[in-house]
Amino acid sequence: MMDVSRHPNIELITYAQVENIAGFIGNFTATIRKKTKYVDEKECTACGDCVKVCPVLVPDEFQQGFSSRRAIYIPFPQAVPSSYLIDMDNCLGTNPIACGKCKPACEKKCIDYDSRDEIITIDVGAVVVATGLKPYDPRPLDEYGYTRYENVITSIEFERLNAAGGPTQGHFIRPSDRKEPGSVGFIQCVGSRSKVRGHGYCSNICCMNTIKDSLLLQEHYPGIETSVFYLDIRAFGKGFEELYRKSREQGTKYIRGLPGEIREHHETNNLVLTVENTTTGKIELHEFDMIVLSVGVEPDKDSDKIKSMLSLSRTPDGFFLESHPRLKPVEVPTRGVFMAGFAEGPKDIKDSVCQAGAAASKVSNLLGAGKVRIEAVTSSIDEDLCTMCGRCVRVCPYNAITKSNKKANILPGIIEAACAGCGACGVECDYGAITMRHFTDAQYYSQVEAVLADKPGEKIVVFACNWCSYAGGDLAGTSRMSYPSSPHLIRTMCSARVNMDFVKHALKLGAPIVVVSGCHFSDCHYIDAVKNTQKRVEKLWDELEDLGIRPERVQLEWISAAEGAKFARVMKELELLRKQVTPKEIEETKRILIEAEKKKRGKKAAKKTVST
Amino acid sequence: MALENFHCLRCNHKYKAEFSKKEWPRELTCPKCKSNSVRWLKKRAAKGAGKKDS
Ligand SMILES: [Zn+2]
Repeated sequence: MMDVSRHPNIELITYAQVENIAGFIGNFTATIRKKTKYVDEKECTACGDCVKVCPVLVPDEFQQGFSSRRAIYIPFPQAVPSSYLIDMDNCLGTNPIACGKCKPACEKKCIDYDSRDEIITIDVGAVVVATGLKPYDPRPLDEYGYTRYENVITSIEFERLNAAGGPTQGHFIRPSDRKEPGSVGFIQCVGSRSKVRGHGYCSNICCMNTIKDSLLLQEHYPGIETSVFYLDIRAFGKGFEELYRKSREQGTKYIRGLPGEIREHHETNNLVLTVENTTTGKIELHEFDMIVLSVGVEPDKDSDKIKSMLSLSRTPDGFFLESHPRLKPVEVPTRGVFMAGFAEGPKDIKDSVCQAGAAASKVSNLLGAGKVRIEAVTSSIDEDLCTMCGRCVRVCPYNAITKSNKKANILPGIIEAACAGCGACGVECDYGAITMRHFTDAQYYSQVEAVLADKPGEKIVVFACNWCSYAGGDLAGTSRMSYPSSPHLIRTMCSARVNMDFVKHALKLGAPIVVVSGCHFSDCHYIDAVKNTQKRVEKLWDELEDLGIRPERVQLEWISAAEGAKFARVMKELELLRKQVTPKEIEETKRILIEAEKKKRGKKAAKKTVST
Repeated sequence: MALENFHCLRCNHKYKAEFSKKEWPRELTCPKCKSNSVRWLKKRAAKGAGKKDS
C-alpha cells in the first residue's frame, strides 16, 4: 500500500465511494464521492493527541470487536494514508458541538468539523473491479452456537486473536476466561458447499487457512490439542499437500464429518460437539476449550451497484462473470472493464495477485496502444428510417446507443467501441432502421430459404447462438454423439439477434419445427441480451396461438458450449416433435401466415393512404 | 410471490409454480422433461386492450 501511495502515476483515493461510471472503453467518466474525514489527511501526522481526549468508546471493527476504539481513529494500523478520521455516527456531535475536545488537542490544526463530502469526476480509460469479499456470517447456523457461546469464534476472529497487532498482542486466549486454551476444534465448510446452509460453492481458501492455523497453534503452543472436522480437505495448490501432511505429523487430528451440534458446559464453558465420524460410521463426542468456525466467503454486498453501473453479469453464486472462463478470465463482456480477486470468484492470495497482475497488464496494453481494435460486427442506424422511438436504446445491454430526442430532433447513435454486436437493437426496431453488419436480415432470410429449398417438411430450422448453442452442437459432433440429421443450424452471434419474423418466415416456407436456442441466462455472452429472446419467443407463442397455429411448433432451448450431450438429446426430442407435424398442418400454417401477412400489408397501405 | 401456471411445449406437462413477476424474464425449465420450452400461461388482456405492451 505504501508503494502504491508513493507511486508517481497512481492517485490513491481512500474513504470514497464510486457513485457512477458512464461512458465506454477508453472514455469512462467516474463520479466519486470522497467522504469527508473531518481531518486534513495531508497535514495529519498521526500523533494520536486527538485520540487521548476523545471520550467515545465503540467496538473496534478491525479487531472484530475484541477491543475498542475512539470516535476519532485510524481504521487499521497499516492504513494509507496514515491519518485520523472522525466517525460521525459515533461522535457526540459537531452541530452544535457537543464535545469538541479533539479540535483544540490537535497542534497541527487538522480538524475541521464543517468539512463536507466532495464529489469528484475523473476521466479514465479502463476500470478494474476488485470489490473483494465478505466473510459468511455463521449466526443462521444455530447448531454451532456462534454468539451464544463465547468460546465459539470464526476464523476471522482467530486471525485477530493471533496477530501481533491484535487485541491480545498475539497471545491466543479464549474469550470466556482469558486463558490459553488446551484444545481447539476447527469446523470446516461453515457456510460453504451447502445450498441450504450458506452457499453451494466451495470458498476455496478455508481448508488451507485452517491447516495454516493448526500449524501456527502447534508451533506456538506445543502440546495443544487441535482437531479439524471436515468434508474433504482441498489442498490442491503448490506445496499445499506438504503443509497438510506437516499439520497431521505435528499432531492435528483430522476427523471426516461435520458436527451436528455444539453444547456448552455451563461451569467450564468448554464445548462438546457431536459428530458422525464418516470414516468409522460412529457418533462421537469431542470436548474442546475453544471452537473455530472456518467460515466461507461471499461477494461484497456493494457488488449490486457495481453490476448495474458497468453492465456486468453474474454467475448464479453471485460473483462477476468473466468473458471466457479459460481464455479471458480477467475480462468482462463490457469492453475496457477488467476484474481481479474475489470479485470474480473465491481464490487465495497467490491467485488474486496473479489476476491483479493480469488485469493491470491488460489495462496497460489497452492504454498504451491508445486505440482499440473492435470486431466488425456492429450495428448501424439508417437515419432516414429511424423514428427516434428509443426502443433500441432500452434493449442495448452495453449502453452503446446514445439517447434520441424526438423534440430536439436528435437521432440515436451507435458507439461502435462499446457495441458488442449482439443485435438485440436491430430486432427491436420495427422500422428496419438498424442493420447488423455481417449478420443482416437479408442474410438470415436467405439462409432460411436455402435450408428449406428442398424437402422442407423433413427439416428442423435451428437458430443457434455462436458462443453456446452452436458450440454445444460442435461438441456433440466432436464427441461423436449421434443425433438426427433433420436439424439445420443457422448461426447467430446472440439469440437476441433472432427476429421472430425469421421464425415465421421459416414456418411459412414449410418448416415443421423451428428452434431458437441460446446461452443459459447465467452465461449470456452479451450480459443479459438473452432476456430479449425469452420475451420475444413468449410473444410469438401468443401470436401463433391467436392465429390458430400450435405454439409447440416453435421451441426454445438454452444450451451451453459444454452441453454437447444436452444438444444431442434435445435434437432427438425435436425429431420426435417434427414427426408429429403432418403435411396438412404445415400447409394450413403456410396459408394462415400468408393470409396474416396480406392483412398486415393491407393495413399498412391503408395507413399510408390516410396519412398522405 | 404467486402461484402461476406453466405449460411445457415439449412434453405437454402442465404445472403450477411459485413465481414473482419481478423476476421476469428468467430461464424456465420443465420439471418433467428439463426442456426450456416452457410457456408461462399469464392472464392475457382482452384483444386490443394490451396493444401498448411491446
Ligand atoms: Zn416438459
